[in-house]
Amino acid sequence: MRSFLLTGLSLALTATVIGNAYYQKKQFYPSVVYITKSNPSMAVLYIQALVFVVLTGKMLRALFFGQLRDAEMEHLIERSWYAVTETCLAFTVFRDDFSPRFVALFTLLLFLKCFHWLAEDRIDYMERSPAISWLFHLRALSLMFVLGFLDIMFVRHAFYSTLLKGPSVQLVFGFEYEILFTVVLMIFIKYVLHAIDLQSQNPWDNKAVYLLYSELIMGLIRVVLYIAFVFIMIKVHTFPLFAIRPMYLTVRAFQKAAQDVILSRRAIRNMNTLYPDATPEELSSGDNVCIICREEMTTNCKKLPCNHIFHTSCLRSWFQRQQTCPTCRLEVLRMPRPAAAQQAQQQQQQQQAQPAQPPADNQNPFNNMPGMFGGFPFQWPPNAGGQAVPPPFGWPQQQQQQQQQQQPGAAGGAAPTSQAQTQAQAGTASSSSTSTSSTSTTTSSSSTATPGVPPFASMAPPFPGSMPFMPPMMPPMFSPFSFPPPPVPMSGLSEEELRAMEGVERGNVEARVQWLRDIQALLDGAMLLIGQYNTVASQMGTMGISTAPTAPPPQASSSQASSSSSPSSSLPSSSSLSSSSATLSQTAQLQDNAQGRAWPQGEGARPKYTSTISNTHTTDSPERARSSSISQDAEKQVEGAVGGAPAKEEDIPKWENPREEGHEDEMHEVRKRRLQHFSQQNSSPGDESSSSSGKHEQH
Amino acid sequence: MAGSALKRLMAEYKQLTLNPPEGIIAGPVDEENFFEWEALIMGPQDTCFEGGVFPARLTFPPDYPLSPPKMKFTCEIFHPNIYSDGRVCISILHAPGDDPMGYETSAERWSPVQSVEKILLSVVSMLAEPNDESAANVDAAKTWRDDRNGFEEIAQVTVRKSLGL
Repeated sequence: MRSFLLTGLSLALTATVIGNAYYQKKQFYPSVVYITKSNPSMAVLYIQALVFVVLTGKMLRALFFGQLRDAEMEHLIERSWYAVTETCLAFTVFRDDFSPRFVALFTLLLFLKCFHWLAEDRIDYMERSPAISWLFHLRALSLMFVLGFLDIMFVRHAFYSTLLKGPSVQLVFGFEYEILFTVVLMIFIKYVLHAIDLQSQNPWDNKAVYLLYSELIMGLIRVVLYIAFVFIMIKVHTFPLFAIRPMYLTVRAFQKAAQDVILSRRAIRNMNTLYPDATPEELSSGDNVCIICREEMTTNCKKLPCNHIFHTSCLRSWFQRQQTCPTCRLEVLRMPRPAAAQQAQQQQQQQQAQPAQPPADNQNPFNNMPGMFGGFPFQWPPNAGGQAVPPPFGWPQQQQQQQQQQQPGAAGGAAPTSQAQTQAQAGTASSSSTSTSSTSTTTSSSSTATPGVPPFASMAPPFPGSMPFMPPMMPPMFSPFSFPPPPVPMSGLSEEELRAMEGVERGNVEARVQWLRDIQALLDGAMLLIGQYNTVASQMGTMGISTAPTAPPPQASSSQASSSSSPSSSLPSSSSLSSSSATLSQTAQLQDNAQGRAWPQGEGARPKYTSTISNTHTTDSPERARSSSISQDAEKQVEGAVGGAPAKEEDIPKWENPREEGHEDEMHEVRKRRLQHFSQQNSSPGDESSSSSGKHEQH
Repeated sequence: MAGSALKRLMAEYKQLTLNPPEGIIAGPVDEENFFEWEALIMGPQDTCFEGGVFPARLTFPPDYPLSPPKMKFTCEIFHPNIYSDGRVCISILHAPGDDPMGYETSAERWSPVQSVEKILLSVVSMLAEPNDESAANVDAAKTWRDDRNGFEEIAQVTVRKSLGL
């Protein structure tokens, strides 16, 4: 409405000016002279010219675009403002050439720019519109043709005029139209790609790639053009201030295009090398809808390590943004590939086997502890000595072994089968807590998801879908001396602190869990030492810990049974206790042996320290109970009290390797004595509970 | 065939019309432009927003579903997780890269697995249980925390307004 008014006003003014001139001069030429001499009249006529230009623009817009969409309009206005400011800046550079013709040329340039932008938006819209009419194609093609033609004409004109008359403002125009011509080219490429895509029913997978590359090339051309332009302008006139912003944007766009291409290439390479194509069986079994595009998957699908299947093209475009599985957010690039894992394993093997190949019966330290490390899917270093298997796929095999070795222990033990199962379960749980802390919660939750199922069954080689990949436990435990910081002794526990560990409140459970973690850490350390010992033993030719059958399983299980009757087992759901037990005696003994002190070989005299850990590790589970009887050896290493709150990192005193201490002989004497003392207790079953649950006797 | 974003949006629209979730109506503003949706969300039952019908607008980026849409309530709504201009602040609407509040893990951000339906269901549950730890509207969060009755009164007012009463 307002534009109508303005147009009308301008027309009326022009009519008045012309009428007035003609009325005064009566003839054509004198009136023209009169008008051109009078500044107000010229101003009115310029305004009228502008109005005409705007009207023409509107007409052309209606011709080529029809109704503009809101987004297009917004875009146009935003960009126009920048263009107008830059034009004014350009005026300052070429103030000597300032003339109506110059202004007219700039206005024209501005208009053509607007049309280029609109065309760009319109072609982008092609991809998003449900129905493309033939009118759209006609308009787009004719518009691109007209714009391209105009651009070339103006470039030509600028080129010749610069050649003939030397550098002038035409330089700027020539350059601007060149840039616009690249825009038209890019629009045309996009149009062709979209048009091809529209022809086929199936999505065209490679369109995105083509688009990326054409954008990269166009970006490169534009960057070169801008640099050349700035260079010439500095030589001829002055620094072209007005070109800074578009130049910056162009460089940014180019950078982004290059980055996109790199990311895309990486994604494609990763997909081709790392992930297998989904087989038709996998596609036909179950839901075969690609979660990214919600289309059915028939061909060209990839399977990620987490067993999720997607279209190759969908996955590629997602991987350009993020290298995670869209469904479960597994960091796919961090997945150790089988090859890499194997390599790492081999390296480990070399490290381990460097001194000498460990004896075959020491391959697996679990051999020696029947019924103790029931379901521990640990991959201990010495294991690498004999088996070079990538961590995730090595487990089942290893576990079978364990299972077999566990048979006599479990069967011969007085422990009921259910306990053995829960024990195994706890094994899984504790194994997950030893994995890096970031995954510990998730893994433990997933291991609770299979209650009662022995881990050998539930741990099929590729883990159940949602289970995050358990990082190979090497990094934290691998270096021989990265001993977990030992927790604090319990002798200093006050009544309150002990009470904090009883009961079913959250705080109590947390305190318990904290203790269990500490114990877990100790056990890990013990296992490490066993590993070390095996290496050293094999190196020195001394006898390894081939003690397996001699530490009598019944005894072990009976001690377990007795430990489960420790005070806290009277808590509600003590029957569902999941327990895992471990002997720490091995550790001490190993350390001694590693020092070259031969432990008395009499098997009967071998001390047996039991540490029975049991808890349901979900803290908010209503049935949680814990009977924790910790061997005195463990107690000794446990230092400082952990009240209701979990121990903080800084509270834990730094572990000092006993070997590095000067008074190691003393240490070993003490240890030996203690072990002997304990073995006596063990030999008489009645004493066991009192010894193993010493901690609980305090309250 | 049209672009993948459009196809997916059409598929989602079809899904939403065939099996509409309870308390949610959503669809493109006009059939010509599938990248602009209007949604009507009913206030969840047994909450202070019960009975209200809240209109919202969803704007999809051209690379949907790789990038999340934007959601904005077009009515007045007083809620800790909705900016005073109506923009909705929930973690699944945030692209994995940026972290405006610095508290979300990438696990709860946008992923192509999400959909319009899931977004709207999350919004419904957000209406039911505001998360005052990451407040978009601090006033609302404060009222929610300190003066639950006052919050409920304001919510009732917005419910009535949303119904045009």
